[in-house]
Amino acid sequence: MQHVRILRRQVVSTVAAAILMGAGWAGVAFGFEESPELKALVDAGKLPPVEKRLPKEPLVLTPLESVGTYGGTWRTATFGGGDSEIERSIGYTRLVRWNPEWTEVIPDLAKSVEVNADATEYTFILREGTRWSDGEPFTADDLVWWNENVLRNTKITPAAPNWLTAGGETVKVEKLADDKVVFKFAAPNGLFLMNMATVRGSDILAAAPAHYLKQFHKDFNPDGIEALVKAAGATDWVQLFNNKIGFPGRWRDLGRPTLDAWVLTAPYNGTTQVVAERNPYYAKVDTAGNQLPYFDRITIDVMQDTQAIILKAISGEIDMQNRFIETTDARTVIVQNQEKGGYGLFIARPAWSNALLITLNQTHKNPALRAVFSNKDFRIGLSYAINREELNQLIYAGQAKPYQAAPREGTALYDEKMATQYLEYNVDLANQYLDKAGLTKHDAEGYRLGQDGKRITFAIDALTGSPIQVDALEMIQRYWRAVGIDMQPRPAERSLIFSRLQNNENDGLGWVGGGGYDFLGLLDPKWYFPHEYESSFATAWGLYYQNPKDPNAQEPSSAAKKQMDLYRQVKEAPTLEKQLAAMKELLAITRDEFYVIGTNLEPDRVGIVKTNMRNVPKVIPSTSFYMTPGPAKPETFYYQQ
Amino acid sequence: MAGFIIRRLLYMIPMMFAISVVTFIIIQLPPGDFLTALTARLASQNETIDPSVIAGLRERYGLDQPWAVQYWKWISGILLRGDFGQSLDWNKPVSELIWARMGLTMVVSVTTLLFVWAVAFPIGIYSAVRQYSVGDYVATFFGFLGLAIPNFLLALVLMYVSAQYFGQSTGGLFSPAYINAVWSWAKLGDLISHMWIPVVVLGTGATAALIRIMRANLLDELNKPYVDMARARGLSEIRLLLKYPVRVALNPFISTVGWVLPHLVSGSVVVSIVLSLPITGPLLLNALFAQDMYLAGTFILLMSMLTLIGTLISDLLLAWLDPRIRNG
Repeated sequence: MQHVRILRRQVVSTVAAAILMGAGWAGVAFGFEESPELKALVDAGKLPPVEKRLPKEPLVLTPLESVGTYGGTWRTATFGGGDSEIERSIGYTRLVRWNPEWTEVIPDLAKSVEVNADATEYTFILREGTRWSDGEPFTADDLVWWNENVLRNTKITPAAPNWLTAGGETVKVEKLADDKVVFKFAAPNGLFLMNMATVRGSDILAAAPAHYLKQFHKDFNPDGIEALVKAAGATDWVQLFNNKIGFPGRWRDLGRPTLDAWVLTAPYNGTTQVVAERNPYYAKVDTAGNQLPYFDRITIDVMQDTQAIILKAISGEIDMQNRFIETTDARTVIVQNQEKGGYGLFIARPAWSNALLITLNQTHKNPALRAVFSNKDFRIGLSYAINREELNQLIYAGQAKPYQAAPREGTALYDEKMATQYLEYNVDLANQYLDKAGLTKHDAEGYRLGQDGKRITFAIDALTGSPIQVDALEMIQRYWRAVGIDMQPRPAERSLIFSRLQNNENDGLGWVGGGGYDFLGLLDPKWYFPHEYESSFATAWGLYYQNPKDPNAQEPSSAAKKQMDLYRQVKEAPTLEKQLAAMKELLAITRDEFYVIGTNLEPDRVGIVKTNMRNVPKVIPSTSFYMTPGPAKPETFYYQQ
Repeated sequence: MAGFIIRRLLYMIPMMFAISVVTFIIIQLPPGDFLTALTARLASQNETIDPSVIAGLRERYGLDQPWAVQYWKWISGILLRGDFGQSLDWNKPVSELIWARMGLTMVVSVTTLLFVWAVAFPIGIYSAVRQYSVGDYVATFFGFLGLAIPNFLLALVLMYVSAQYFGQSTGGLFSPAYINAVWSWAKLGDLISHMWIPVVVLGTGATAALIRIMRANLLDELNKPYVDMARARGLSEIRLLLKYPVRVALNPFISTVGWVLPHLVSGSVVVSIVLSLPITGPLLLNALFAQDMYLAGTFILLMSMLTLIGTLISDLLLAWLDPRIRNG
């Protein structure tokens, strides 16, 4: 029951596609139902009837298994004071969102969106009658207000985020009607909708309730603002305003109107517990006309230790969650305690591909190391020297098959050769390639010498917080010693690793990543080409791509430059097909350059779900880019009585 | 005496200044700044943050200025306005964050202290008076055991046991039902039922140490002539014990009472993290990791201040307790 509305703004017949609408909507008004608590409030005259609270044509969600029943609490836990869990479980509401399978962008609050042929204009049709959680209407004016007074106000937003700029200019939002707005970019911005579906998109609607935010904005409340700043203990009005709209400050603001399924009743102050209760104005219904969400409330326990979250899970105090309990070392405990904790499992599939990839900095400041690291034969030799099957058995309990830093199988970008090249364990072949790389001289201990006549020795940084990666690196250290290469694993604190990267002072890095799902590759291509300093296989080229004038930047190779052009094409393409086509070209170069040495495919992880909870998918991608579990539609989860 | 106190207070001023400078330098020592730490934290969780946003924030927080300027900003705020600055990680005033957790921190620490005293003193005195008895050996054995087990391990084991066998909710100081509730008798009861784990965990090490100190000191005293003399005069054993030897044996303990104050703030960081206690320890550690300099700096400043005050208090207590010091 899906149809596409094509708008031919130009004679180009190919693109300008509108995003699919959620359901065939015939405009038939059926009787809407609501939760008993809300009904009681309506009967008591404290709340308008449900027809008045819903949009004229609410978004109809088709539950995964069955239409649910109202009631219950969804208990989750989070770690520390600034984690995105709250954004993912409560706050995943946008104009457009990911579909649960993570293969396309679909409408959320917007009824539809149309893209013009060069990806510079995005026209959103809103659902007439959508309301904020305080009952005020949500209209085009809200988005225009955000654009003019928040995003383009340089006090509040000193620099607009990249995804909202193109051609060096910030996006402009214009109202066409109460339920119609257009986002205009100065240059093509093909990844705009995808970015909106990620964590980044939260920032728009959080800063859009003009009727509420005006009081905290100096331009709209010049007389009263000082008192509010004082009362809040903020340094100035800009900080106060940013606390209302930014993450995580906005989750400490109890009065904030939202469009989410649940509304905050106990704030995220970083210690105890966050609570959010059903939003009476939530704009979505199920196929039977029941207003969503089914759950009465969500509670998020804020813990200071991830082990404590695992304990909570096995004692049955968490209803549905994968983050913090999906780690490899917790898996056994989680799986064993299913009966006691009263939960089953779902697969949380990491969005990236490699459990550990190894980069060697081809832009190293030391010429001897730079020479060997940039030699493809050297990298191929090292790849052949790794016994990935042994790593799999000893480190990953046989769950992680050998894999290069490449897209996952079954994705549009999957390239078999890229995923499987140089994977076999073959010491002779490894030695041949290292000899071919010109490293034929050995010292007394059997280590190979570089062009400066000194032993080739380098460190691979890894997170102290990822002991599994450190263990794997220690095994790889042995494999490489066997072929005459001296590598030292160097566990370090994350900030230290990153400041090395920013200054191009890294030898090498062991990290998770290497592509994976299509959208991760499109939005976060750092392992495919030198996109930023985190592209640690060529840090200085990555710095160059972000800012050619950076003191640590270096002129990239011609292959890398070609990739940078291709990625610009990706960002300028108006349709997913064209983006993927350009991305495939880019990946072919990645494959041939063999920048990054992959080891093993990150094993599927497991999350827990209460045995009587329904409509939870069997497989959910796990990454902040997907906003796990948001796109899996928690608003349709329910407990079977 | 008054002159002594005033003199000591005056010494504190240059001391505090030196501490504040050193504190700030230490916090600036790790490479990168708050925003580097933020980017790194996100990246390790497969998240990203916009470089343009980072650049804007760096300017807004003044992280691109030389450290002397940043230090002056911080210290002048404290001295002139009593403003400890804003936490970058929380976007809240530092003072608000610290005070919010101070209450429960006090409760946990003071309870632990009382628990330690209540257990260690009687056992320590008994062990000394009945040296090499079965009781002494048992107490010593458990004491050493308590000293030897790392606190965090004990915390994990107790949490596991209470979750597995008592069905108690794990972590924190309250059950889920009471976390956000207003104070009531029921909530207090809930707190007490959760308190035993942190108190036992935090207390074991200190109890063991205190038992040994008490025992050793008392043994020194018990063999001195004045004890025999008092005994010869027919003083009852209990009175004799408490009147002199115990008082003298208390000396090393009193001289360390000054450390209790900073311990109230920083103590038990690891344990409170493992147990997810809503007290100051985890806040400090996270501030250091996140390079949230104003928050971490204020914490360290506060602890130094408390150490100075605590030392003064213990000096005064010692003088009161031990005439040899008073007149020395």
